[in-house]
Amino acid sequence: MSLRDLAVGETVFTASYPVTRADLVAYADASGDHNPIHQDEAAAKAAGLPDVIAHGMYTMGLVSRAVLEWAADSGIDARLTDFSARFAKPVIVPAAGGTTVEVEAKVRNLDEHSVELAMTVTSAGEKVLAPARATLAAK
Amino acid sequence: MLNASYVGRSLPTTEPVTITAASVTRFAQALGLPDDGTVPPTYLISLTLPAAERLIDDPDFGLDWSRVLHRDQRFAYHRELRAGAAVSCAVTIESIKTVAGNDLLGLHTDVRDGDGVAAEVWTTLFVAAPGAAA
Repeated sequence: MSLRDLAVGETVFTASYPVTRADLVAYADASGDHNPIHQDEAAAKAAGLPDVIAHGMYTMGLVSRAVLEWAADSGIDARLTDFSARFAKPVIVPAAGGTTVEVEAKVRNLDEHSVELAMTVTSAGEKVLAPARATLAAK
Repeated sequence: MLNASYVGRSLPTTEPVTITAASVTRFAQALGLPDDGTVPPTYLISLTLPAAERLIDDPDFGLDWSRVLHRDQRFAYHRELRAGAAVSCAVTIESIKTVAGNDLLGLHTDVRDGDGVAAEVWTTLFVAAPGAAA
């Protein structure tokens, strides 16, 4: 597939990722962000949150994965050039069973050399990143 | 409230640090990304936020990290970065906006390697008013 096969407004992928407390521990170790609201229920509640929440950058990282997997799976030879998100709502991660982050991507802008995707990112029915956008440019 | 006279000011550029293969592997694995030596798109935050944390040590600026929430994040990638790259961060305080006693602090960081600016990182932090729950 190449960029010229895409159309503005088209949904290009959906992805779904389970998120557990263990994933947040691994991300804290990898990123160096050890804020206890991402690990410890008591710390989260003391900060006014309902439960442990995922790092916003963890959720954004999952979205980067969804975009890169889509590009690789569809054979699009393009490089990520711009990537942005607003952290609109927290991703709440209960101890039992965790949660899920869902990503749906549509083509927002398109030209010969690049595509801009607009992602809808939800967890437990809430939009957690809004907006979230990624631009890929043909190599 | 943050000291608005800091808008436009730049922090001293950090000393170059090498992005190790082990740290790239750990970050890629934590997100389920392929571990191929490419620096993951969001990896740079683990360099740029610590570079900005020096503002906490500045009593004239008034930044209390315990009242900070991450509000917006943007990356522009000018070149691919791979494990082994040595990069430094140049942080500029781009904007401070006050809304109902809360501050929005806009930071812009140039991530440079030996060939110049490889990526730019914009971070907006929401700094809750003192006394308000963050």
